[in-house]
Amino acid sequence: MEKKSLKGYLYLLPALIIILVFTIYPLIKAVLMSFYEGYSIINGSFDAIGLGNYKELFSDKVFRKALTNTSIYVVFVVPCSILLSLLIAVLLNSKIRCKGMFQTLFFLPYVTSVIAIGIVWSWIFNSNYGLLNYVLSWFGIEAVPWLNSPDYALMALIIFSIWKSMAFDILIFLAGLQTISPDLYNAARVDATPKWRVFLKITVPGISPMIAYAFIMGMINAFKVYNEVFSLFKSSAGPANSAITVVYYIYDKFYNSADYGVASAAAVVLFVIILALTMIQRAVSDKKTA
Amino acid sequence: MEIRIENLTKAYGDFRAVDGMNLTICDGELVGLLGPSGCGKSTTLFMLAGLTEPTDGKIFFGDKDVTKIPPEEREIGLVFQNYALYPHMTVEENIMFPLINRKVNKKEAKERAYEMAKLVHLEGLMDRKPKALSGGQQQRVAIARALVKKPKVLLLDEPLSNLDAKLRIETREEIRRIQQEVGITTIFVTHDQEEAMSISDKIAVMDKGVVQQYEVPQSMYLEPENLFVAQFLGMPEINTFSAVVKDGAIYCGQVKLREISGLSDGTYTAGIRPESFEVREDGFAVEAAHVRMTGRDLLIYFTLDKEPLRVLAHSDLQIEKGGAFKLGVRQNQIMLFDADGSMIGKY
Ligand SMILES: Nc1ncnc2c1ncn2[C@@H]1O[C@H](COP(=O)(O)OP(=O)(O)OP(=O)(O)O)[C@@H](O)[C@H]1O
Ligand SMILES: [Mg+2]
Repeated sequence: MEKKSLKGYLYLLPALIIILVFTIYPLIKAVLMSFYEGYSIINGSFDAIGLGNYKELFSDKVFRKALTNTSIYVVFVVPCSILLSLLIAVLLNSKIRCKGMFQTLFFLPYVTSVIAIGIVWSWIFNSNYGLLNYVLSWFGIEAVPWLNSPDYALMALIIFSIWKSMAFDILIFLAGLQTISPDLYNAARVDATPKWRVFLKITVPGISPMIAYAFIMGMINAFKVYNEVFSLFKSSAGPANSAITVVYYIYDKFYNSADYGVASAAAVVLFVIILALTMIQRAVSDKKTA
Repeated sequence: MEIRIENLTKAYGDFRAVDGMNLTICDGELVGLLGPSGCGKSTTLFMLAGLTEPTDGKIFFGDKDVTKIPPEEREIGLVFQNYALYPHMTVEENIMFPLINRKVNKKEAKERAYEMAKLVHLEGLMDRKPKALSGGQQQRVAIARALVKKPKVLLLDEPLSNLDAKLRIETREEIRRIQQEVGITTIFVTHDQEEAMSISDKIAVMDKGVVQQYEVPQSMYLEPENLFVAQFLGMPEINTFSAVVKDGAIYCGQVKLREISGLSDGTYTAGIRPESFEVREDGFAVEAAHVRMTGRDLLIYFTLDKEPLRVLAHSDLQIEKGGAFKLGVRQNQIMLFDADGSMIGKY
């Protein structure tokens, strides 16, 4: 028995070492670094321990902008993606032709590189010959400078991200829809249930665990948004930093400004926000299922 | 309401799940639709419900042709094989659901739901979710939900298959009681012949999509029209063997079973139910190869001129493995079937 469990731990060891070195250690280091003032990455020396980095961080207008942008981003991307995905998943799950083809089509963004998709979307958003403006022109809407104006950059980012995160949501909703017994829908038909009520009373409750999962994963991912910004605005944070996000800010402080203390402090703030939201979400869903 | 099924057919490609079914069910009757797994029982029921579109044929409820009418307008109550209760609603909400959908006001819907709950003995469980109910309770919720809209026809798809033996018997009596109280025309699908015989007014036995016989239970048991029905009904199963008719008698191998007249010589399939034998001093001598006690009866295995057969004897018979005894067949209890399996007569 003893021997057996020892063997089990041995099997776990490689994974444990990797997690310790690349996840746990950086996590602790980042927290420590956020409290070091005047930190040198070369020799690891610092002048003092204190809240200096946090003070600097919160007085930085760019960080506040990043925080606001990220919050707006989360508030729009997560629910919109879930709602649209839910509708599409329900449609895909009904008796339609070429179901497999559509399913593949909607899943493509998930397996395609964000950079590649970003290039396509920066073309779609192009103000002169982009697809989106072309479509809008049918309705008499003037060309919108999606990527070149600070007023629209964040909106463009949000639209792009909704589309991108839908792939994952559709996938798990489709999986969830398969678990609902067809007899429930038959029963609902015999019971003369209107379509919208079937959706609200059978479909949505049936996949509520998936919705909760999509919600929390979507939120965590949305708070960490970086690739999308990077690829859409060609290695910038949009005109005049108008689409800057918290992770982009961290990256910028770390690599471009070599401001390690402030970058770490921002990372810790982000970590605390995500942790808090996850805990709230779990408390709520536990209460619901209990 | 009377149900009339005319030439009802459902084909999936070349395969006919239900094939040219004709059946008339009288108002207020409970009909058991009986057959082995995959014979087309659920398909028939789903066509009656309007959930499956027939390939051919017509369905009449009363004088009205309902073949093209959608399920919600057919005035049917349907109980599914797995109950299909709405898992996120309480018992009360489940039962009220069909009424709410039909725009009955909340107060009246609730009253009717409680009336229904009383009928199926569910009072006190109204606030539970289906998950927190036993199989039998779930089944009664399903019946209440099916009946609350006062349908003209009740369709039940193997409603007892998920219950244990004791609960099955209790619940089937319950279904019969409710059906009689409401007086509703009911079709009850099952693959359990005992279940079908014990509660049905009439039974339709199906095989491979075709109705083999439609009769009251006792007549069907005593006068099966064909070999399939004879074999399907009865537990333990009927003994069948190939019998020879010659010189005015029926033989099993060299053993003469019965003297008869008016039947041409030849080989037939004979069927004798295990309970149709009787222990008798002037019978043929056999040896018990194997004795099984089932409680009320003794099931004794023996061979009659190489033909393996079984007899059901009263449990007070003193016999052990290897013991010799004498058997005869009770009058009129040897069924003969021709090569197609059709019943020729009883001797
Ligand atoms: N959608 C379908 N496509 C093709 N074949 C089908 C379809 N639905 C049912 N069948 C076939 O039709 C036959 C009858 O099915 P049905 O469900 O009516 O059987 P059943 O008598 O209810 O069996 P059970 O007692 O197992 O429930 C089966 O052989 C089944 O494989
Ligand atoms: Mg079935």
